[in-house]
Amino acid sequence: MAEDLNWAVGGEAGDGIDSTGKIFAQALSRAGRHVFTSKDFASRIRGGYTAYKIRTSVDDVQSVVDRLDVLVALTQRTIDENLDELHEGSAVIYDGERSWEAEIPDEMTAVDVPLKSLAEEAGGAIMRNVVALGAACAIANFDVEYLDEALEKRFGGKGSKIVENNKAAARLGEEYVEENYDLDHLGYDLETTDNDYVLLNGNEAIGMGALAAGCRFYAGYPITPATTIMEYLTGRIEEYGGHVVQAEDELSAINMALGGARAGARSMTATSGAGIDLMTETFGLVATSETPMVICDVQRSGPSTGMPTKQEQGDLNMALYGGHGEVPRFVVAPTSITECFWKTIEAFNLAEKYQTPVFLISDLAMSVTEQTFPPEAFDMDAVEIDRGKLVDDDTVDEWLDEGGRFRAHAVTDDGVSPRAIPGTTDGAHMSTGLEHDELGRRTEDQDERVRQVDKRYRKVETAQEREDWEYREFGDPDADSLVISWGSNEGALVEALGYLEEDGIDVRVISVPYIFPRPDLTEEVEAADDVIVVECNATGQFADLIEHDTLTRVKRINKYTGVRFNADELAEEITDQLAAEVPAK
Amino acid sequence: MSSDVRFTDFKSDKQPTWCPGCGDFGTMNGMMKALAETGNDPDNTFVVAGIGCSGKIGTYMHSYALHGVHGRALPVGTGVKMARPDIEVMVAGGDGDGYSIGAGHFVHAVRRNVDMTYVVMDNRIYGLTKGQASPTSRSDFETSTTPEGPKQPPVNPLALALASGASFIAQSFASDALRHQEIVQQAIEHDGFGFVNVFSPCVTFNDVDTYDYFRDNLVDLEEAGHDPSDYEAAKGVILDSEKEYQGVMYQDENSVPYHEQHGVTENMSEIPDGAPEDAMDLVREFY
Ligand SMILES: Cc1ncc(C[n+]2csc(CCOP(=O)(O)OP(=O)(O)O)c2C)c(N)n1
Ligand code: SF4
Ligand SMILES: [Mg+2]
Repeated sequence: MAEDLNWAVGGEAGDGIDSTGKIFAQALSRAGRHVFTSKDFASRIRGGYTAYKIRTSVDDVQSVVDRLDVLVALTQRTIDENLDELHEGSAVIYDGERSWEAEIPDEMTAVDVPLKSLAEEAGGAIMRNVVALGAACAIANFDVEYLDEALEKRFGGKGSKIVENNKAAARLGEEYVEENYDLDHLGYDLETTDNDYVLLNGNEAIGMGALAAGCRFYAGYPITPATTIMEYLTGRIEEYGGHVVQAEDELSAINMALGGARAGARSMTATSGAGIDLMTETFGLVATSETPMVICDVQRSGPSTGMPTKQEQGDLNMALYGGHGEVPRFVVAPTSITECFWKTIEAFNLAEKYQTPVFLISDLAMSVTEQTFPPEAFDMDAVEIDRGKLVDDDTVDEWLDEGGRFRAHAVTDDGVSPRAIPGTTDGAHMSTGLEHDELGRRTEDQDERVRQVDKRYRKVETAQEREDWEYREFGDPDADSLVISWGSNEGALVEALGYLEEDGIDVRVISVPYIFPRPDLTEEVEAADDVIVVECNATGQFADLIEHDTLTRVKRINKYTGVRFNADELAEEITDQLAAEVPAK
Repeated sequence: MSSDVRFTDFKSDKQPTWCPGCGDFGTMNGMMKALAETGNDPDNTFVVAGIGCSGKIGTYMHSYALHGVHGRALPVGTGVKMARPDIEVMVAGGDGDGYSIGAGHFVHAVRRNVDMTYVVMDNRIYGLTKGQASPTSRSDFETSTTPEGPKQPPVNPLALALASGASFIAQSFASDALRHQEIVQQAIEHDGFGFVNVFSPCVTFNDVDTYDYFRDNLVDLEEAGHDPSDYEAAKGVILDSEKEYQGVMYQDENSVPYHEQHGVTENMSEIPDGAPEDAMDLVREFY
């Protein structure tokens, strides 16, 4: 793997940390470098510590590591927070003119840049972060011109003067460092390539996937970290004749999406935390009325308000079992940002083919992480749309009973009934949360009840047969040690493989995007000497499922600090677990 | 839309199980007639029903319909109408459904002014759960859960609608068939959220707000010469707690429905077989 650079900017929430980091990430991407970002942000709008970290390399990067090479510290706390990641070769950019006395350990290179003064020289103190970016370019031997396009993108709307001032500010920062410091001994020299990358996060990928899939109606209620899906769609979905509505709460949001779906539109809602609890009220209705809908849960740390801006994969059981009574649902959990795109499209197809709600489970880490990809990773020509058994004026007749009534819940071999949407002649029918007969009319007849329950579950059997529920595989397929993961841990695991290999440890990684239905891992688990399940929660919800499926005890790596796994940390934990005994329970 | 639609086309072949004499019969008949009279047919009509005795209306009518979760009928109707501006949407439910568990949705549905009709079958009681106080029950109305009465003033749904910025507020009486139908028809024809609170007596659990009571006390606003476009006059009758009124209290003649405000005009059920033609532009935005 080519040399990577680990860079961060940190300060107080409200210091513009996010946009500063994003500008640098975009500049790196424009220079043909891969980027993986992580935001360690606090929940308060002002006052909390917040940082934006970037790992960059000319090779693919899928994780951050516990190392920082260049740090832009706007506060002392930024330095203190990151002490254990800084090392002898690290450079710390700070503004010595500010009131705080920077305490930077001697072995590191302190780069004192009068950020505020230089920014004022360029036209305003507000540009001090951009001065710092210029300084960072000087340290990393990275051409300051790469910042220009990103600055245009960020400030273009505010007029060319502002853009020019920012470009000047960046150059002042660069020149100041070049004139006052000789940092060649640090050895940072960022290579560039001719590759064109796009830079996006998981929520943007979900939103883009929804548009590609023909989603036309989105109803939501703002909640971190799901809101950015709604914000992405707003202003874009209209281009395709769709609409986003901000509901008064999540009870309403899911019901609006239900209305949109019954009216025939590909409809979606997304939420997190307490929002998914509220939506649970209507979930059973969606499922039993056999309404196709995508419900996205961008998981955050719970329970209750928990740590609302922190990472967790704690909602798996809720997605699988939430709601009273028994009704099938699909649960799909994308394992990477590109998969956020593809699995969203798949979710819409599954929903319509099987007239069943699909939980699309992402998480906070993936929602805020920006990563580079070649644009072909989102090849729109490869997008397939399957609307299932939608009937029209010509085909509706096949599904009318002797009284001319539409059999919306017809009991079929594959469990899937025809679907007529409003406007279809002779398709009028009622759907209900009450148990119903084929026509959608309420019934408490025992045989009818059993037929309908069985029919709904038969859809899952059909889907299990017809669809691919494959896992993704990395590492050495013949290794004795098997590591299983779900959701967003995949990238860190793939990178951990590199560290493990250096230590002579071979591992097979299975990354599972389908929670229900899911691949049967019995053979894989039986073939391995050691099985470790990795997830960001305290109790091992996925590990429980694997044990249940395979009747084998597994080892577990659980992280519930609110921060995602890092590659190097995971490599260490896996090494430790391989040496440990399987826990008796 | 065929011109030969009759109101009975909106009737399903399920026999209503409402108690004989229940106001909901009359309420439903008027709705079906109003729908037929306004040129709708079952295949282009979507009825959303709440939960309660009133909510059973979805079963007894014939159209595209959803019988949903208690209190959430309005959001469902909102979603249907946004996705399909070409479809006639009618939402119906009880006073508990609309003004208690669904009160939050009511306020916001009124504000949004989506072009649909909302009929509340107000019997001032919880019928389906066998006679508990509802938000419109009188403060001294004795029920199994309020033996001395709720001892709190009833909600004034008309005032709630007015305060939420309603563009159409009306009230009718199930047993005054002709007027009820006319009023619902006006609500359907209104460009925006047409709200009708219908006195729909529960003959089994409410012996106070009876047919006789309404017959004796109802003042017809049309006969009284009320001008629905006069906001101040509307406020007067809506806040008058001494009398019971029927008729259109308020209609904003300049009402602009949600879909016009937001440019939502497409039939959203129609999508291409693959990604939209220019979809790669979405990717290129991320350069
Ligand atoms: C979440 C929930 N809570 C409680 C109920 C029980 N419940 C069914 S109908 C109803 C009240 C019905 O009153 P109203 O809306 O006035 O309708 P009516 O029966 O009077 O027509 C209640 C409390 C329910 N179905 N769902
Ligand atoms: S209980 Fe009351 S509201 Fe319910 S059907 Fe009987 S009369 Fe009508
Ligand atoms: Mg009632």
